[in-house]
Amino acid sequence: MQNNKKGLTLSRKHNLIGWGFLLPATLLIVFMSFYPGIQGFLLSLQVGHGMQLTFGGLKNYVRILKDPVFKEVFFNTFFYLIIQVPIMLVLALILASMLNNKHLRCKAIFRTAIFLPCATSLVSYSMIFRSLFTTDGLVNNIIRSFGMPSVNWFGNEWTARGVIIIALIWRWTGYNMVFYLAGLQNIEYSVYEAAKIDGASPAQSLFRITIPLLKPTILLTAIMSTNGTLQLFDESVNLTSGGPGRATMTLSHYIYNTSFTNNPNFGYSAAMSFVIMVIVAILAFVQMKVGDKR
Amino acid sequence: MKKRILATFMAIVLGISLTACGGTNAQKGTDDGTSKESAEKQDTEGKSNSQGEQKLIVWAWDKNFNVYAMNKAAEIYSKNHEGITVDVQDIMPGDIETKITTALAAGDTSTLPDIFLLQDVTFPKMLENYTNVFTDLSGSGIDFSQFAGAKVSNSVMDGKNYGVPFDNGAVVNFLRTDYLEKAGFTAADFTDITWSDWLAKAKVVKEKTGLPMLMSQAGSPNIIYFMMQSCGASFFDKNGNVNIANNDILKQCIDIYLQMIKDKTLVEVASWDELIGGINNGTAASVIQGCWMMATITSQADQSGKWAFANMPKLQGVEGATNYANSGGATWVVAGVGKQKELAIDFLKETFAGSTELYDDLITAGTGAVGTWSPAKESAVYNQASDFFGGEAVNAKILEYASKIPTVINTPYDGDAQSAVGVAVSNIVQQGADIESELKSAEDTVKFNMGN
Repeated sequence: MQNNKKGLTLSRKHNLIGWGFLLPATLLIVFMSFYPGIQGFLLSLQVGHGMQLTFGGLKNYVRILKDPVFKEVFFNTFFYLIIQVPIMLVLALILASMLNNKHLRCKAIFRTAIFLPCATSLVSYSMIFRSLFTTDGLVNNIIRSFGMPSVNWFGNEWTARGVIIIALIWRWTGYNMVFYLAGLQNIEYSVYEAAKIDGASPAQSLFRITIPLLKPTILLTAIMSTNGTLQLFDESVNLTSGGPGRATMTLSHYIYNTSFTNNPNFGYSAAMSFVIMVIVAILAFVQMKVGDKR
Repeated sequence: MKKRILATFMAIVLGISLTACGGTNAQKGTDDGTSKESAEKQDTEGKSNSQGEQKLIVWAWDKNFNVYAMNKAAEIYSKNHEGITVDVQDIMPGDIETKITTALAAGDTSTLPDIFLLQDVTFPKMLENYTNVFTDLSGSGIDFSQFAGAKVSNSVMDGKNYGVPFDNGAVVNFLRTDYLEKAGFTAADFTDITWSDWLAKAKVVKEKTGLPMLMSQAGSPNIIYFMMQSCGASFFDKNGNVNIANNDILKQCIDIYLQMIKDKTLVEVASWDELIGGINNGTAASVIQGCWMMATITSQADQSGKWAFANMPKLQGVEGATNYANSGGATWVVAGVGKQKELAIDFLKETFAGSTELYDDLITAGTGAVGTWSPAKESAVYNQASDFFGGEAVNAKILEYASKIPTVINTPYDGDAQSAVGVAVSNIVQQGADIESELKSAEDTVKFNMGN
């Protein structure tokens, strides 16, 4: 096709208009995310306390490998990831399938009730959970009323981690459930009807129909949950204060301590933040390879 | 048409709610309560024109305590100096430190105030790392010998003074006399005693009343830090090297702490709120904390007359052991990057370092703010008897305690050391870990933080 006219062809004009719409957002992202990211990486190459920073190359990254506290908090964070995310996603899926039932009454009330936790403030809900699980808190009162001895939730490392996992599940299940509900709307009811006629049980229709058709949504929520759990901060600080000892401290909490509680070592904090980013990127990549056929 | 109206209405609502909740997506980690309420202090002379009017911006926290004190000081100062306004902004201590750190890292000091309040615990760290935000006050004419020695030492580096000390954090042993009576003791039985004496008496109290003597926040064993400080010991030696693993005094403190837990005369609680709740509900027979705890204790009006003052027990067998220690407290700093340094220094010199009227008012106003400035204790107000505490002149006593606190070595790594020791104690107490190995790993952690 010859371009006789002066100026742009229709397709090029469309392209330029498209780029024109994208440009503001792109510029914003570059200045607000990429530029600080690069600065952060440069900061991670600096060594020293407070403002006395000197160039140190990859010293901070090598230091991470030698840091016993880093290993502890890394284990904690991964523990939350491995235990909490699967439980939460499965629960969200089950709830979404139950709520997708055409014959269920008052769906809106259930949906709102399950979704509401994720709209609460992180600090407020952490503090409330903290007071719920104290030695004289509601949970122990209920346990005692069943005749069992009360549990020192925050005194034992495993029960303390359990409290954080319970809090996270309470908070984020609704959020993921809404994603699944939206995805389920795209599945035609006739598919389920056909399966029922063929004699499929609810479990079979869940595994053979719902999950394969929901794969993109499951992938999305898995990546978002991984990202969020690896960066966990508020619960570690406000619910358990990292305790007992450092049993529930997360990576982000340790990074915060390194910058603000201890004698500040900003280069080291930046290096640790970058390590988190790399890990999240690797996990996201792995999940996409497994889940996305495109 | 209807759709259009509905659409515009929804857009407006969303727009408003976006701007309103834009603040909730603020940085994680900073306190939700970062409120910037400027309390503009009006010129008492009534001259409202801005001719020759100078303004000092101050950052402090606690509306009823520090902010009130600064506003009062501004009032007193402006009686003799016209045209000075002081704008006090209420900002949490952690946020003040973060703001200063961030401003200096960004190289933009225009957002910093003229005067700010800084906690003593973080003073050495901030002073060493951000010296240019402090001002050397050694030649300013402020007489630092009038302040309690231990307090002043927090703001001294290389022999120079960098702050005007403010509130007193002298550790006091607040005792419930009604519980002690049941066990056959009085407050005098707990004054000037040793820890082994305390352990024995605490067991009797537990037997006769069923209550523990003390409560402590798990993971943050203040009592151990008080014990260390009361004999002038620190987690660092004179040369700034870590001294945790082989610190015999620390081991002795931990042994005493463990003994109290074993005897059930010390109960650990999970959070600060629980501790305060326990104090107010009377679930322990005494509290060993900084004198500022008085505000919490006196908030329970129905417990008036049931409390008494004493000093904390001392360690035996340790040279230089005393019955006094410090907990918290803060110091005013004149910002080195501020544009009105002379005015700020003069202001602080006349008020916090020179006005009995100010310190008197702080007591009578019920703020509980006891200073560390010794000339204040000559006044009648400081010697008033307190009904709540059985008729004792508590403020004078606090000032007296403050003057006897031993000076300890402060380093920028105090925060690291305290967290590491806190973790070690938590592991020892709650997980039954071995003391030697826990202290060794605490020392290794601090050494790691100090190294590069």
